[in-house]
Amino acid sequence: MSMKPKKTGGSSFVELIQNNSVPIMFILICAVCIPVSGFSPGYLVNEIMTRLGRNAFLILCLIFPIMAGMGLNFAMTLGAMAAEIALIFTADWQVWGIPGIVLAMILSIPISVLLGVFCGQILNRAKGKEMITSYMIAFFVDGLYQLLVLFMMGPVIPILHSTLKLPRGYGIRNTVSLLHMRQSLDNLGAIHIGAVKIPVLTLVVIALFCLFIVWFRKTKLGQDMRAVGQNMDVARDAGIKVERTRIVAIVMSTVFAGLGMVIYLQNMGNISTYSSHKQIGMFCIAALLVGGASVDKASIRNVFLGVILFHTMFIVAPATGAKVTGDSMIGEYFRVFASYGVITIALVMYEMKKRMAKGKIGQQLQLAQREEESQ
Amino acid sequence: MKKIPMRTLLFRVGAVLLLAVIAYSMTIIGRGHTVYMDSKRLEYNGQTYETPYKVEVYVNDEQVAKLYDKERGMSIWIGQKFSMTLEITQEKGGAEETQEVSLTLPRKMDGIILNLPALLAGLPEEAYLSEFVAAPSEEEAPSDEGITDEFGLSTTEELPAE
Amino acid sequence: MGKTANEAITLGNKTKFRELADNFGLPRLIIAGFLLFLFIMAPLVGADFTTQLTNTINRFSWNAVLVLAMVPMVHSGCGLNFGLPLGIISGLLGGTMSIQFGFTGGMSFVMAIVIATPFALLSGGGYGWLLNRIKGGEMMIATYVGFSSVSFMCMMWLLLPYTSPTMVWGLSGKGLRTTISLEGFYDKVLANFLQINIGHLSIPTGSLLFFAVLAFLMWAFLHTKAGTAMTAVGSNPFFAKASGINIDRTRMLSVIMSTWLAAVGILVYQQGFGFIQLYMAPFNMAIPAVSAILIGGASVNKASIANVIIGTFLFQGIITMTPTVMNAAIHMDMSEVIRIIVSNGMILYALTRKTEGAK
Repeated sequence: MSMKPKKTGGSSFVELIQNNSVPIMFILICAVCIPVSGFSPGYLVNEIMTRLGRNAFLILCLIFPIMAGMGLNFAMTLGAMAAEIALIFTADWQVWGIPGIVLAMILSIPISVLLGVFCGQILNRAKGKEMITSYMIAFFVDGLYQLLVLFMMGPVIPILHSTLKLPRGYGIRNTVSLLHMRQSLDNLGAIHIGAVKIPVLTLVVIALFCLFIVWFRKTKLGQDMRAVGQNMDVARDAGIKVERTRIVAIVMSTVFAGLGMVIYLQNMGNISTYSSHKQIGMFCIAALLVGGASVDKASIRNVFLGVILFHTMFIVAPATGAKVTGDSMIGEYFRVFASYGVITIALVMYEMKKRMAKGKIGQQLQLAQREEESQ
Repeated sequence: MKKIPMRTLLFRVGAVLLLAVIAYSMTIIGRGHTVYMDSKRLEYNGQTYETPYKVEVYVNDEQVAKLYDKERGMSIWIGQKFSMTLEITQEKGGAEETQEVSLTLPRKMDGIILNLPALLAGLPEEAYLSEFVAAPSEEEAPSDEGITDEFGLSTTEELPAE
Repeated sequence: MGKTANEAITLGNKTKFRELADNFGLPRLIIAGFLLFLFIMAPLVGADFTTQLTNTINRFSWNAVLVLAMVPMVHSGCGLNFGLPLGIISGLLGGTMSIQFGFTGGMSFVMAIVIATPFALLSGGGYGWLLNRIKGGEMMIATYVGFSSVSFMCMMWLLLPYTSPTMVWGLSGKGLRTTISLEGFYDKVLANFLQINIGHLSIPTGSLLFFAVLAFLMWAFLHTKAGTAMTAVGSNPFFAKASGINIDRTRMLSVIMSTWLAAVGILVYQQGFGFIQLYMAPFNMAIPAVSAILIGGASVNKASIANVIIGTFLFQGIITMTPTVMNAAIHMDMSEVIRIIVSNGMILYALTRKTEGAK
C-alpha cells in the first residue's frame, strides 16, 4: 500500500521535511500572510469551507490518472467543458434546483466519456510524454468547444431562450446565469456555526467519492491501474490490457471532473462560458501539489491539505500584498506566480527523482552484470 | 473482440436506461417557473371581478408580495404543483382571511401570470392563467467582453491580430 | 504498351503523392491546401489580394525571428521550446530599459538588443542548467518555467523603479502600463528601412533582411563544428558522447541561443506591432511559434531554416486571411476558433508521431 516503512534514527526528521517541503513552504507563507491580511478567523474559515466544498471533488478526480502512471491530468478540463455544455442545456430547459444539478451531471457523463476516450487514445500514442500531450489536448478541445458553443449553438443545436444567446442570434453569451440553481446543493441541510456555513450535503457527496476511491483502489481494475502505473511492460506480461486500463483511468477522471465541475459551478452561480474551464485544470493541479502530492503519487489526504493550504494562500495573498506594497495587484500576481511556481517545482522534483531512480537501476544492472561475468 | 457476458451487458443497458429515466424525470420535477400574481380587475363572461384591498402572498412560508390594486408580485417555483397562501384583506381596515391555493402549472410555460381575483372566484384555468412573454431586452449586451479567470486577470489568449 | 506506361505513370504519381504526404505530413498538406484555398477565395469574395499579401508578409516579418528561436533547442534534442516566454521577458526588459535610459529612434532598438543580451544569457544559462537536470521532461517543465517567469515578472513590472513618463501609469507615477506605445522609439525602425511600395503592396524590407541575416547566421552556425555537434547531441546522444562531445554544455549553448533569439524576436515583433505588451501578454506567445515551426515541417527533434520560413508564412497567412475571407463569405468570424484548432492540433499531431521517439 501507500504506507512507507518508517525509518528510525536522526535522518527521519530531515526526510520528513524533504518529502513535505512544498506543504511546509505553504504553511509558512500562510502563517506570515494571515496576520498581515487582517481577516477575521470566522471569515477565513467560512471562505475555506466554501472553497473546500467547491473544489475538493474536482481535485479528487486527478487521482485516477496518477494511479495509472499518467501523471497530472491537465486534460481534466475536458470534463469541465462537458459539464458546462450540460449546464447550458439545463439552464436553457429551465430545470432548476437539485433536479437541475442531477440532470446536468447525467447529461455531462456521455460527453465526458466521449472526450475521455478521445483523450485516452491520444495519450496512448504519446506514452512517456502524457503531461505535455494532455496539456495540449486541453487547448485543442477548447477550440472544438468554442466551435460548438460559439457557432453551433443556435443554428445547429436548438437553444430555446434568446436570453442565453449572443445578440447576433447564435452562440452563447459570455456568462450563463445559474441563478435558480445557485448553491442549492450547498444550502440543502447546511449548518451555520457562527459566521461559518458548512455545506453538509456537498461534503457528504465528496465523502462518498472519497470512499469510492478507497474502495476502487482495492478492486481488480484499481489494482490493474496501479500495476500499469508501476511498470507498463510488467503489467502487460501479467496479462493486463495496458492500453485499455489507461483509457479507463482517463475516462473516469474526465467523468468525475464533469461531475465536480457541476458542483463547482452551482456554487459559483454562473458560468463564464469561455473561461470557466480554462484555469480549472491549472489550479486544481496546483492545489493537489501543494498538498504534498507528486506526479506519481497522490492520496486523498493530499487533496484536502492542498485545498486548505492553497486556498488560504489564495484568499490572503491579495490583501497581504495590498497591505505590504500598497498595490493590490501585487498579491494577485503573487498567487498566480505561486500556483505556477509550485507546479514547476513539483515537475522538476519528479523528473530529477525519475532520473536518479533510472541511474540507480542502471548501476544495479551493471553490478548484476559484473557479478554474472565474474562467476 | 472479446465477448461481453450477457449479465454484464444487461447490467450496463439497465444502468444507462436508469440514468436516462432519472434525467427525464428531473426535467419534469425540476422544471422551473416564474409565477407572476396580478391583483387586477378582470372581466370574464360579462362579469367583473374586483380586486381586494390588499393581498399578501406567501410561497413556502415566505412573503413574496404584498399586493394592492393593479400590482404584480413575482415568485419562482420548481415543479408543477404550485401552492401558495394568500392573506386577503377585502377592505381597508377589514379582517384578514387566509386562503390556501394550489394548482397545477403547465410544464411548457416559463413565465405564468395568475390573476388573483379570477383565481379567488374559482374561475376556470383559461380565465386566471396566461403566459408571460418577456419583452426582449438588449441592454445587457455590452458586458460581453473582458473575460477574467479565477485570478481576476484577463487571459488574453494570444497576440491580438492587430 | 502506351497503356502500361500510363498506368506506370499514374502508379508513380500515386506513390509520389504518398511519399509527399508521408514526408510532408498530411496535416501540413491540409493546411497548405487551406491557405491556397483562402488565397483563391480572397478575390472571389471581394477582399483585396495585395492588401492580404501585404498583411501576411508584414506579420511574417514580425514573427519569423520568434519562430527561428525554436531551431537550436530542437537541434540539441531539448524539444520544442515552450519556455519561449523566458526569452521574451529578457527582450521586454531590454526594450523597457532602453526607453528608460532615454534612447530614441533607431538607437533605442540597438540598445534594446544590447541590454536584453545579458539578461537572455543569464536566464538562458539558468534555464539550460535546469533543463540539463531533467532530461526527458523538458517540454512540460519548459512550459511552466515560462509561466512562472511571466507571473513573476508581472510583480516586477509593478515594483521595478521605472520612471519614464511614457511607460508608467500616469496617475500613480509608478508601475509600467500594460501596453506601451513605441512611437518615437523603435516603432517600425526595421520595417521602414528600404521599404518597397508597389501600389497597395508594401514590403518591410528591413525586417525581412534582419531576419534573413539571423537565419543565415543560424544556418552557418549549424554547419560549424559546434553546430554539427549540437545536431549530433539531438539525433544521437550516445554517439555524441562517444565522440567526445560535452552534451550538457552543447545543450546549454542551444538553450542560451534559443533564449537570446526569443529576446531579439520579441523586439522585432514590437517594432512591427508598434507596442510593447507587458504583464500577461507573453503568456501564450510560445504556442503560436511552436505550431508555426511544426506546420513548416519540423518535428520534435528535427528543424531547419526552411521549416521556419514555410511554417511562419503558412501560419501567419492563415491568421491574416481567415478573418477577412470568412467574414466576407459567411459573415461569421471563425478565425479565432480555427487558429486555436489548427495550432494546437498541429502540436498534438507532432507529439503523437510514433517515429519521433520519446522526448
